[in-house]
Amino acid sequence: MKPDHYQRNHALAAEYVLGTLHGGARRRFETWMLESPRVRRQVWYWERRFQSLNRGIVERRPPAAVWRRVHARIARPRSVARAWWWPVGSVLAASLVLALILLWPSAPAPQQFVGVIQNSQAQPLWVLRTVTDDSHRQLSLQGVNVEPVDGKDFELWLLPRSGAAISVGLLPAGGGQRTASLSERQLEVLRRSRALAVSLEPAGGSPSGQPTGPVLYQVRMIAM
Amino acid sequence: MSEKLSEMVKLMAHTSRGDLASFEKLYSATSPRLYGLCLRMLGNRHEAQEVLQEIYIKVWHHAGEYHPERGSPVTWMISIGRYACMDVLRQRRVHQDVDDFRDSLRGGGMEPQQAALASADKENLDRCLRELSDPHRASIQMAYFHGLTHGQMARTLGKPLGTVKSWVRRGLDFLRRCLER
Repeated sequence: MKPDHYQRNHALAAEYVLGTLHGGARRRFETWMLESPRVRRQVWYWERRFQSLNRGIVERRPPAAVWRRVHARIARPRSVARAWWWPVGSVLAASLVLALILLWPSAPAPQQFVGVIQNSQAQPLWVLRTVTDDSHRQLSLQGVNVEPVDGKDFELWLLPRSGAAISVGLLPAGGGQRTASLSERQLEVLRRSRALAVSLEPAGGSPSGQPTGPVLYQVRMIAM
Repeated sequence: MSEKLSEMVKLMAHTSRGDLASFEKLYSATSPRLYGLCLRMLGNRHEAQEVLQEIYIKVWHHAGEYHPERGSPVTWMISIGRYACMDVLRQRRVHQDVDDFRDSLRGGGMEPQQAALASADKENLDRCLRELSDPHRASIQMAYFHGLTHGQMARTLGKPLGTVKSWVRRGLDFLRRCLER
């Protein structure tokens, strides 16, 4: 059922946004979104088009407690970050990692990028950071207590603004760290789109060179 | 770009750089709309507030992913909100009876849809929706506003599953062609 032409893609994108695409079909479609910028744009088309239906929403101011809870969850890491210490050699505290990245005081070079891949509870899973200079083009991949999945690997993909996803390699499980070398082209794609995604693949990575498993997470890198 | 939209884009950009004050302004400006969306889709305050909280946590952490192709910042946030509400509805449905949907459709549930259609004469989507036959329009609205699956719509409307799937598919196909006219 892979979408293979414009109208078919459009129909699936519409059902995805409407919510009538379910289960495995929905997950497969999310993989196709990852592979195809055109499919992503078709989803965005329907999100924009359906938007006018939402003018009928009756606005209701939420209780102040909701903002207090949101604030408590996002503000906590910053106060820790201002203490300015780094627990080298230990499992990185999720909130501290995020805060250090957001508040890093002196970026060593203008074109470095950082990003945090999070789960649906906004808990950091991996911290990504470019390490580039004239002779090195690398992406540091730091796991933050990631639960491994038996017989599977997490694979990281660059999402160009147009064209298919480009594999960056496998992500470490647990609290592991690895460094992926980036080609000049990969670095250029990263500079332009800053978008990456993680799919769950058979052990060793996608056999096809394109995502084959469910797309679990997406991240947009921040320029430092 | 209107002044209001420009301000929203600015707040989103500042939020993506970790500016908490801008995020609070963004929350203040948009949360009544998002809360209204959650209440409409979920039908109870407790879940609506829980989902609202998760929406803004996601906005805070992913503001850098916003770009104009996603529509206005509010459009992008409403999309996040709808997908979050749909997730809750899918989890909840295991325990929910079809009659609940019938009740929610009978009681006040249709009013926002009618209000949306009545106040949106200038919009292409509304024009195209009006051109749709009643079953096609109703099935699309039930899915969009209430997050109903094909099966739930079929049971709620007392129609065969294949008929409802066809209504949705043909309705969306008509909308696409109508919107491109």
